[in-house]
Amino acid sequence: MTASRRPYLLVFLALVVLTALELGVVYVPGISHGLLVSALILLALAKAGLVLMQFMHLGHETRALKLTVIVPFALPALYAFVLISEAGWRLLR
Amino acid sequence: MIDWPADRFMGKASALKLGMWIFLVSDALSFGGLLLTYGVLRGGASAWWSAGEPPLGIAFTAGLTFLLICSSLTMVMAVAAAREGNRRQMLLFLGLTILGGIGFLTGQFNEYFGIGHPGLIKEGLVFGHSHRATTFFLITGFHGLHVFSGVTYLTVVFVRTALGKYDGGNHNAIEVSGLFWHFVDLVWILVFTFVYLVPCTPGAA
Repeated sequence: MTASRRPYLLVFLALVVLTALELGVVYVPGISHGLLVSALILLALAKAGLVLMQFMHLGHETRALKLTVIVPFALPALYAFVLISEAGWRLLR
Repeated sequence: MIDWPADRFMGKASALKLGMWIFLVSDALSFGGLLLTYGVLRGGASAWWSAGEPPLGIAFTAGLTFLLICSSLTMVMAVAAAREGNRRQMLLFLGLTILGGIGFLTGQFNEYFGIGHPGLIKEGLVFGHSHRATTFFLITGFHGLHVFSGVTYLTVVFVRTALGKYDGGNHNAIEVSGLFWHFVDLVWILVFTFVYLVPCTPGAA
């Protein structure tokens, strides 16, 4: 196992640990729904970031390519936040 | 191995890789649309899980998630082998990646239609009967289609590797196929979290 492949194994282990954490956090007794959902979102984004930057080598690409890939997601993220919280507010109104 | 000068903005990224990245961003926005629909419908639903619908098999799909993470690892190993021009290892890891994809598809078939057990559809999760069922089949089906096209794509790369088209460290084509496969894994990570893990009880949000 050449040294150049070791980081891939570390990323793989991190992904497995984060998945286990996600499964664990779901079964924490008495955790509030809001806290649980935000924990799940954070864990999912961490895993997605790991795959993006390490497995897909985006971390080793130029800044211009990183911006090309990552910046377009800012708008849908804002859009999602606005629409989903609005749907939730409409439900409680 | 042709070698072109580094571009001022994109460095050594080839046109093939740029094309794939831009395609993946647009594909991610398609999934974004589906996941956003799911979020809005669920956020605004007083009762998301209507009576008579079965729960989703979290333990089984956690296994599928692990399987897809493993196939991402073997994919990255295949690309590393391609860089070193080691055709035998490329074929080994590509084969494992393809098997992982086929395993995932079989698992999803089992989840929908059930091999040896009724499966979600017979248990009452029917496309069109409720928002929960429809969004579930839309998202996981669209993702399954991507897994299938990924398996086909990797099989073509496997055959061309066997024919020696990528000998001598020509890793560009296989690396780009790896980008697609990692994207499929990345989408599943998000789908698994939002569709399966965010808990809900029958009759409640």
